[in-house]
Amino acid sequence: MGLAQHFPALIIAILLGIAFLSPILYRWARKTSAPALITALSLSLVMGIVLLIQVHQGGTFYYHMGGWPPPFGVEFKVDFLRVYMLLVVLAVSLWIMVYALKDLEHELKTEMLGWYYSLYALLVGSMAGIALTNDLFNLFVLMEICAISACAIISIKEDRACLEASFKYLILSAMGTGCFLLGVAMLYMVTGQFNYDLVNEALPAAVEQYPNNMFAASSLFIVAFGTKAALFPLHVWLPDAHASAPSPSSAMLSGVVIKIYAFALFIMFYQLFPRPLLDSIPLNEIVLWLSTAGIMFGSIFAMVQVDLKKMLAYSSIGQIGYVFLGIGLDDTIALTGGFYHLLVHALMKSMLFMVAGVIIYSTGIRQIKQLAGVGQVLPLTMIAFTVGAASMIGIPGTGGLISKWYLALGALEVGRPFFVVIILASSLLNAVYYMPIIVNAFMHQETFEHEAKPVPRQMLVTLVIGVLAVIFFGVAPGPTLTLLENAIALLF
Amino acid sequence: MEMLIKVLHNYYYMAAILLFVIGMHTMLTHSNLIKKVIAMNIMDTSVFLLFVAVGYTYGGQAPIVQQGKEVIYINPLPSSLMLTGIVVAISITAYALSLIVKIYRYYGTVDYDEICLIRSQE
Repeated sequence: MGLAQHFPALIIAILLGIAFLSPILYRWARKTSAPALITALSLSLVMGIVLLIQVHQGGTFYYHMGGWPPPFGVEFKVDFLRVYMLLVVLAVSLWIMVYALKDLEHELKTEMLGWYYSLYALLVGSMAGIALTNDLFNLFVLMEICAISACAIISIKEDRACLEASFKYLILSAMGTGCFLLGVAMLYMVTGQFNYDLVNEALPAAVEQYPNNMFAASSLFIVAFGTKAALFPLHVWLPDAHASAPSPSSAMLSGVVIKIYAFALFIMFYQLFPRPLLDSIPLNEIVLWLSTAGIMFGSIFAMVQVDLKKMLAYSSIGQIGYVFLGIGLDDTIALTGGFYHLLVHALMKSMLFMVAGVIIYSTGIRQIKQLAGVGQVLPLTMIAFTVGAASMIGIPGTGGLISKWYLALGALEVGRPFFVVIILASSLLNAVYYMPIIVNAFMHQETFEHEAKPVPRQMLVTLVIGVLAVIFFGVAPGPTLTLLENAIALLF
Repeated sequence: MEMLIKVLHNYYYMAAILLFVIGMHTMLTHSNLIKKVIAMNIMDTSVFLLFVAVGYTYGGQAPIVQQGKEVIYINPLPSSLMLTGIVVAISITAYALSLIVKIYRYYGTVDYDEICLIRSQE
């Protein structure tokens, strides 16, 4: 084993280390800072893959920070599901960063780039930590790092819309973490532990004596993670924040950051709370109906938007609903679908935001109406948009179909065909707002009247990778689904 | 009556929750941005108080081992964790205040309703 057994800690250490180094490198050795960040992200991705191999060979294992076992030390747990989440975070953020290196040059002031790299590495490092940690207080600290760096990569653009949006985001996510910490206090009061497994062991005895603490904690957790993951009535910060941010930040926030909180809520439900207790409170039912409302309203709000990025942001509210739908249906097949959607949506929504970024880079257009005929000047970009939109709608051959298929199967499995209708209806609504853009972009008769700058090859290559990935996960979902089924089988 | 005695006995929990609700309400309803940040701090502090209260035992002493003496200790873990919590709260406050400074430069006001008015007129 040797060094390989320290990989869970090293992934986070490398990312936090590069966050510290980036501004220094940018100040004194400007050419090295971007390659250093890319190297750090690739290195952590390789370590993530090694972790996957380790879990595949040796099963779930624990990593004790500094050699201190719980309840004294912080513990990291490495199992299939966490490694899956870790790989999604690392792979997608590496991919977005390759795109961002070109795009940021025109969106940010030059002297800010080093700081952006720093914040980006902090964000990725904290999310990798959230995916792996097995300790409630550690989760709280990582969530706060994630919240601040997520707000900061919006406000770094320093125009008025960004500042206002990131302040709104900051206040609401501070409310979320406040609620989370209160929930942790409720659990700590009765169990005296922070480690997930130890809390899980201590809860059944504690709940007999103090049942209200468990109710309070679980509802506080729903509010906390719901706010951060934009679960329907708590989504108000998302459209402004994701639409006004620089395009790579939008891709990161919409693609990965909201998912990690959905994942954290899932871990709370299935690893922290003991199963019989979870069955005694209708937590899944609450999440189920909120996500259903989110799926419908997110799509309906998206239809009336005039700004392309705002439309994509509202669409995210609908799409995160699918992940929560998987949690709400509380069924192995539906959960597989939900987690598959987490990966596919991370890919397609990041790609769509990148497309929006390319369009803004090249022509400066944000309004959907002005996009008519854009396919003539940016054909490859709009093909990427078409593939992303097709996956959103769930057309066969794209990843979106597989996840919706599994969610629908799961809904039938638990005997609730109503949610199949919801999935179908929302697919139709997606088609209603994505199709006109595609049709207008390619079928427009007159020539495109706006000027278009040539797009750097690096940006187009990332889009092509995105297209290939979305199609790959639509055509060959087998290995990922097997991984997810194994992962979820461990929880039931 | 029994419930009331329970509540009175645990008055510090009640105080913490009351502060939390005050903080949350002010944070979500007040339009002044500075007041929102103050309310955020009240909310965070209430949770810190709750944690410290959880760790306290009546007549407890600081957890330092003294040879040959049986002493009741207070639980040091919540207090030490709350130090981390305070650091986190401070960093969020600093960031929020710096955002407010920038917002004030662009809009000339720290009132959220007025900012919305200015934005709607654009």
